[in-house]
Amino acid sequence: MTAALATHRGDGLPGALAHDAPPPAPVRRGRERSFDEPPRWQIYLPLGIYLVFTLVPFYWMFLFAVRPAGSTSLVPWPMTGEHFSKVWNERSFALFFQNSMIVGVCTLLATTLVALAGGYALARFDFKIKNLFMLALLCSQFIPGALMLVPLFEIFKNLQMINSLGSVIIAETVFQLPLSIILISGFIKNVPVTLEEAAWVDGCSRFHAFRAVVLPLLRPGLIAVGSFAFVHSWNHFLFALMFLSEQDKQTIPVGLNTLIGADSVDLGALAAGGVIAAVPVVIVFAFIQKWLITGFSAGAVKG
Amino acid sequence: MKNSKTYRGRTVATVSVAAVLALTATACGDDGSGGSGTEGSGKGEITFWDNNGGPRTAVWTEIIKDFEAKNPDIKVKYVPIPIADVQSKYDTAIAGGGLPDVGGVGTAYLSNMVSQEALEPVGDRIKDSALNGKLVEAMVESVKDAGGRGEEIYSVPTSANNGALWYRTDLFEAAGLDTPDTWAKFYEAADKLTDADNNKFGFTIRGGAGSIAPAIDAAYGQSGITDFWDGDRTTLNDPKNVAALEKYTALFKKTTPAADVNNDFTKMVAQWDTGTIGMLSHNLGSYQDHLKALGKDKFAGIPNPIGDGGTRVQVSNPVDGLGLFKSSENKTAAWKFIEFAASHASNSKWNESAGAIPANTEAARDPWISATEPTALAAKSLTDGSTKIVELPYYLPDWNNISKADNEPEFQKLLLGKVTAKAFLDKLAGELNAAQAEWKERGNG
Repeated sequence: MTAALATHRGDGLPGALAHDAPPPAPVRRGRERSFDEPPRWQIYLPLGIYLVFTLVPFYWMFLFAVRPAGSTSLVPWPMTGEHFSKVWNERSFALFFQNSMIVGVCTLLATTLVALAGGYALARFDFKIKNLFMLALLCSQFIPGALMLVPLFEIFKNLQMINSLGSVIIAETVFQLPLSIILISGFIKNVPVTLEEAAWVDGCSRFHAFRAVVLPLLRPGLIAVGSFAFVHSWNHFLFALMFLSEQDKQTIPVGLNTLIGADSVDLGALAAGGVIAAVPVVIVFAFIQKWLITGFSAGAVKG
Repeated sequence: MKNSKTYRGRTVATVSVAAVLALTATACGDDGSGGSGTEGSGKGEITFWDNNGGPRTAVWTEIIKDFEAKNPDIKVKYVPIPIADVQSKYDTAIAGGGLPDVGGVGTAYLSNMVSQEALEPVGDRIKDSALNGKLVEAMVESVKDAGGRGEEIYSVPTSANNGALWYRTDLFEAAGLDTPDTWAKFYEAADKLTDADNNKFGFTIRGGAGSIAPAIDAAYGQSGITDFWDGDRTTLNDPKNVAALEKYTALFKKTTPAADVNNDFTKMVAQWDTGTIGMLSHNLGSYQDHLKALGKDKFAGIPNPIGDGGTRVQVSNPVDGLGLFKSSENKTAAWKFIEFAASHASNSKWNESAGAIPANTEAARDPWISATEPTALAAKSLTDGSTKIVELPYYLPDWNNISKADNEPEFQKLLLGKVTAKAFLDKLAGELNAAQAEWKERGNG
């Protein structure tokens, strides 16, 4: 076979040399497939259909955002930036974007820090009501935010925090924390405690050992929790609508809703606002998707 | 590894629990309506919540600028509230506090706010102001009815909308069809303009959010019944209304797109503006959208079709207005703003921008009205005696629940053939009869 190969390739090598040569790799016709692997079309066809269903609404949004008002074209040409200019400049989306970014980033930081502390306590300490506390965290997920609206409104009003982005950040953080703590505690349990003990033996304090040994290993979990907190607070509408009663404090989701009137809607502006709202989330997911998948799958199975 | 609780840990836990309890306890404070407020100095800052924030922001900004130029001692803080969430925003503020001085209030949720004692009666203020005798009487009556407190009025009407039948003049002309000004012509056009295989339909029906009022409108419009109540019972499930609704909903999928079952007004207007659908039943508010999408030569808007009896019957449309909140600490300044916003110039400016019918009688005679054909026709039909109005019971505190969350899914079932028109109207009528009885038991009516 080797000789035949050599001849075929026209190498002109002597037979002995050809015999001494290491056996060549088998000829590959495309990618080899094991018998239990399904044909490619069975993978790509459903994925393709799913992608069409997922992406068509986004295409529709992009189309409405960039085509001129009154156009019925199904392709984004001729293209116009009038809708983006309108929402960004006339409808205060520049300000809403900035406010949403402040809320999103602060919620991310607050949620991650508190969840880290809470998760560490749950993973490393035993205390009497630990199971009850875990149960309470889980149960808190069943309470819709709308149910807490009036009590929260009262609390923030008495703290003189109505009309402050701080009220939204605190409310978002509080509602993000239960799931985040549960996830982070799962990650921390996954890190052998002996690593920390070794650091203590070497003279580290508990905090130093945590920072130097445990924290670097939690990166996927922190990214998962942080991104989840950011995206949720970025998209959340209710708290911003209820706690903020000044136009210059509003966030993107509230701004988007003001583009829908009682009897009329500017679809071009609404689509342009939708694109602006989607961009940060898409960027976040594009950069962290690898960590996000690792993070959620790892945290999900550890209890 | 196990760690016992430390003293510091217990302290932190105690402080945390105490803080939570203290914060929660604050939830037992005042009712948020803020008591009776005060007349105030007539100077300083007042807050105004726009109940249709966004689409009307530009015109309100202009009116506020004019007001502040005329009243340099008063500053108006403008807060746009998305229309879909305005009622929940008001409800939260009523329960938790933080109501504005002035707010946009539609008749659809006026009674709910009046029953929570959030609004100040404004009848006496109107009498003593420049607005006395300059508000369209029908709108004043509508606002009084919606408030549900007899002759007292709880908001100053600013505008009314009206149902319109929008139709594509280019498609009608090509098909050789007449203007659909009677129900018979409407059904004929819906049928002739439909070519489902080529994605062409004669009509688009509202099957999603907000579907109940148009359905009731179509039923009364065809049946010719002009009163919503016959004693203490509604005429809604009268056999004539049942037959009319059956005929109307039979259009679904026959001369309308199948996706109409989920149509709220945004989808309905969008597909009419961008497609090849012959007719759309929506109010005057979407005029600017049609104009932008189709240009002025391809469509027209007319009042609802005339029934077989020769009379145009339509249901009452919500009237928009401005409410003065009881909790305001500066009612004098707040009232000045309301008076200014409802005055001739401001009211005309606002309604021209919205394509609605002004509540100010002087504004209602301005030239822009006759220049905008659909608005002019609507205004004419409401004032020349050719139209009978069926007054919907907006005054019932349960009206919104009954006409939205409770029965919109039922209307979808009706479109899909899962319930009959009779069963649908019987259910709706039963709920309205019960709500009316409860309302009367409380000493109203």
